[in-house]
Amino acid sequence: MSTSRSVGILATRSIRNIRRLPSAFFPALAMPIFNMVVFAGTFFAVTKIPGFPTDRSINWYMPLGIMMGSAFAGVGLGFTAIRDIETGFYDRLRMTPTSRLSLVLGPLTGTLVRVVMMTTIVIVIGIALGARFTGGVLGILCLYAAALGLSTIGAGWGLGLAFIFKDMRGAAIMQLSIFLVMFLSSAQVPLNVMDGWLHTVARINPATNILRLARVGLVNESNADHLSFNAVWGGIVAIVVMGGLSLGFALRQLRKLSN
Amino acid sequence: MRRKPADVVRQLVALSRRSTLAIFRQPALVGPSLIFPLFFAALGSSSFSRAISLPGFPKVDSYLQFTLAGTVTQGVLFGSVTGAAALATDIQDGFFDRLLAAPTSRTSILFGRLAGSSLFGGMQALIFLLALLPFGVTVQAGLLGYVSIVVAGFVTAFAVGALMSVVALKTGSAEAVQGTFPVLFILLFLSSAFFPRETMSGAYRRIADFNPISYMVEGQRSLSIDGVSLIAMTQTLVIPVGIAVLTTMLALRQLSVRLAAR
Repeated sequence: MSTSRSVGILATRSIRNIRRLPSAFFPALAMPIFNMVVFAGTFFAVTKIPGFPTDRSINWYMPLGIMMGSAFAGVGLGFTAIRDIETGFYDRLRMTPTSRLSLVLGPLTGTLVRVVMMTTIVIVIGIALGARFTGGVLGILCLYAAALGLSTIGAGWGLGLAFIFKDMRGAAIMQLSIFLVMFLSSAQVPLNVMDGWLHTVARINPATNILRLARVGLVNESNADHLSFNAVWGGIVAIVVMGGLSLGFALRQLRKLSN
Repeated sequence: MRRKPADVVRQLVALSRRSTLAIFRQPALVGPSLIFPLFFAALGSSSFSRAISLPGFPKVDSYLQFTLAGTVTQGVLFGSVTGAAALATDIQDGFFDRLLAAPTSRTSILFGRLAGSSLFGGMQALIFLLALLPFGVTVQAGLLGYVSIVVAGFVTAFAVGALMSVVALKTGSAEAVQGTFPVLFILLFLSSAFFPRETMSGAYRRIADFNPISYMVEGQRSLSIDGVSLIAMTQTLVIPVGIAVLTTMLALRQLSVRLAAR
């Protein structure tokens, strides 16, 4: 069976699970909406800090909600892999004439479809709550690109850990690591507004660049990051490098599992 | 069957001891509710250090000083779910039925389970107060303020534990109890735990105005920033006690329903 056909079949299986297991999909949808709503409401006044790049808190926290949802959708693939390993479904997959690459790319494709669905729904709700895309269609595309990129990184990381641990011990590490990477960045406020130790950590955290990419179409038009190449390239490099490393990690661990 | 008060007390002490030991024997269960609030406090101190000069913020030296009360409340709320989850586990694995078969006071089964998480709540409050002390975060109300916040932590943990016990007794499922955790998270965020109500707007402000957590946190915050006052003491201690009375009544009612259904 060709790799592309296997990828298609495994992606379809992953997407069908949305209908078969809605209890697994809806929390993944509720979390970004919840994050967006409570952060924008609680930290409503944060936009009044001098130098804050937008005057709408929802513009700042909607991308955060989507990024958190995308990252966790990615590592969620690791949870699914653990379940498949524990139930023996993975052993059956590995016995079929399927390329190892498709065992990673198939479920990843399904996850990316879920992320597009989640991002679209959150954007619609965000706009209803007052979010405005100052960067138009290009800004929306940057947000989708950042979401898909981050979920790919999360998926590679989650799958790699699932293949190492083969049980739910890996799940805690997946969640905790993604949680730390996301919050030790410009998740809550931009770099120019934060002080102290977090500024040092966030500056070198690749998630900061990905969040910057996600927000280029939502900051004020007068802000330097507004649809600027400077704000975009760092995020793209971070996605390509981290995505490549994490998917490489997943494939390497899968081969070790097969051996 | 009438039981002697001394027997009831002895059973309550034994069951409380069991639930307390159970909590401290599972560091993986209690660790996150100690670590995460401190992590968020550290995160907030860097992220929102410039926010304290915004209109609506009280006069504080640092965001950490402002967020002390929010940190304590956050940790206590999250930790208090463990007692109710353990009660649900007792129901699931049959230990609850074995206790009912024994000549044990029915209420001591419930209160014994809540005792562990309540003690842990008080301890959490003390740990947060001491952990933030080296960073210049003090309680202006002095010893009375420290004691009040620790007592508030104990009572709040009991109140929330009793509320979660309603779910445990109704469903008999530890997963269902854990599933209610996001509700606490939402209630905490839609309060003045992390930013003052004066800085909020629209629906968020109205929800925070109705949310009792706002007033609990503001009482502790006032003890920490301004010192002792009757209003601060009332908010810190009376509100959690009021909620505890209400949630205990609900939990006892649900216990009766469960016993009647047997």
